[in-house]
Amino acid sequence: MLLDFGNVGMLLLVALVFPLLALGTAFFIRPRPRQHGIEKSLPYECGVDTVGETWVQFRASYFLYALVFVAFDIETVFLYLWAIKFQELGKFAFIEMFIFLNILLVGLGYAWKKGALEWK
Amino acid sequence: MNIALLTSEIAVVILALLIIVFDLLMPRQEARRSLGYFAVCGLLGILVYTFNQHGASATVYHGFFVVDKFALFFKQLFIVATILTLLFSFDYIEGLTHNTGEFYALLLLSLVGMMVMASANDLLTVFVGLELMTIIFYILVGFDLRSSKSSEAGTKYLILGSAASAVLLYGMSWVYGFTGSIVLSEIAAHITASPAMLLGLGLMLAGFCFKMSIVPFHMWAPDVYEGAPIPVTAMLAMASKAAGVAVLLRVFLVAFADLQAYWLTIVSLLAGLSMIVGIIVAIWQTNTKRMLAYSSIAQAGYILSGLLAADAAGVKGMLFYAVLYMVANVGAFAVTTAVNNQYGSDKIDDLSGLSQKSPFLAVVMTVSLLSMAGLPPMAGFVGKMYIFMAITDKGYFWIAMLGLVMSMVSVYYYMLVVKVMYSKEAKNQQEFTASVSLRIVALISLIATLFIGIYPGPLAELANAAARSLW
Repeated sequence: MLLDFGNVGMLLLVALVFPLLALGTAFFIRPRPRQHGIEKSLPYECGVDTVGETWVQFRASYFLYALVFVAFDIETVFLYLWAIKFQELGKFAFIEMFIFLNILLVGLGYAWKKGALEWK
Repeated sequence: MNIALLTSEIAVVILALLIIVFDLLMPRQEARRSLGYFAVCGLLGILVYTFNQHGASATVYHGFFVVDKFALFFKQLFIVATILTLLFSFDYIEGLTHNTGEFYALLLLSLVGMMVMASANDLLTVFVGLELMTIIFYILVGFDLRSSKSSEAGTKYLILGSAASAVLLYGMSWVYGFTGSIVLSEIAAHITASPAMLLGLGLMLAGFCFKMSIVPFHMWAPDVYEGAPIPVTAMLAMASKAAGVAVLLRVFLVAFADLQAYWLTIVSLLAGLSMIVGIIVAIWQTNTKRMLAYSSIAQAGYILSGLLAADAAGVKGMLFYAVLYMVANVGAFAVTTAVNNQYGSDKIDDLSGLSQKSPFLAVVMTVSLLSMAGLPPMAGFVGKMYIFMAITDKGYFWIAMLGLVMSMVSVYYYMLVVKVMYSKEAKNQQEFTASVSLRIVALISLIATLFIGIYPGPLAELANAAARSLW
């Protein structure tokens, strides 16, 4: 009983200490900007300075492409597992996968027809 | 493996897919109202079919998915709630967006999530159903793209909801780690009162309470309810909350029944707090949806207090209350929708003069609110009586007393709304119009509230049978 309490307490302790430790270490070993000048404290020390406003808005189209891509990406992962077990599962799995693919295709068709894939 | 047990869920998914396909095939400028009627007809058919499954008690997928009277009771509640919501939302949604087909399909898919939750017999299925429902609600809450309030509500719900889901999942991982199983009955067999187990239980309770908007986890509810389109608010208040109750009951009464000594005290505090905070804060609200949000927090407290009995009588009270709460809310939200269609806002002031402009809708609103307050001829009274009787039997007299006092207080702010409708003059002399389908929903709500209140027998019988199937 007490050991169980200990386990939970240990986890809580680690969860509390870990971020503090990480932040604390970073605090101690980080370069001191005052000693090396302002250059050292820039977010991109060796990059090119930004020109103009950095809070720019990106096109939402990227996001839609990414979303459609992820759906089919996951589907491919799922297909591998299905292919390995296909011999055992037989006809039922074949039909099931067919239905699954069709549901995804309806989704893609919907996105296409509604203009999500168009680059306006 | 008996896949036929999943028929009703599969049918709803097919219905949603059909709506998406029809939406694509229809010409762009054509009105999508036919799709809404199609969804309603399809759901009616599925509702009739679910009565076929009565009496069955079987599991599928190695006991992960169970169809029993308890699950069926909730599934029918969800389907009826969706049908009524669809019926009163046609005008409102068409004024909101051109993608109404999408709205109907999404609503149906969230219904599938709730139905899976009602049938879930293991922690993972609970989580999958919950996420299916919640992710679709994130989209639906922010569905009004022109309103920044709606987008804000959607973002808030997304962030807070994800955090709550994470807490729930973390709790589940503790429970799984210490019992070695995710199936509820197996958990019950291996359960011990170890601290880790209690930690898991506490985290899961917090996750479920978030979905039911029980008081320390209710912060999201008023903002999200206010920002979301009214039909979505209605679904959040009725169906999403009932789905939370369904999984809470099954998980706590099947898996964690042996740990009652630990969770009963916490549940009693949560229920009591919800009643107090929900009702006290509601008094100062000026927005109808926000007022209904706080009232729904209080109602959730009443429903949760039934869990204190931890027996069939208490669960029966909770199921009964969930139904009458759904019926009363449908009426209140239908009237809110009609008023919003007219004036374009949800202030309580907009209800002024409703008794002259549309006496029928004013009566429906009054009856719905008084039913939630628990005045005798209405259904709310019977529901509260069942719950309080069950928990006084188990010695929770103070909660019953608190509930009674709080209902008295709640009568005050419900009457404030009624007063606005009946004694204030209307703002303008415009004619008040409401569609036929909305009026039908309001009528159904009115009749059902009065019928259940006067003759609670049949519904109580159904709820009783459903409650007993948990043991």
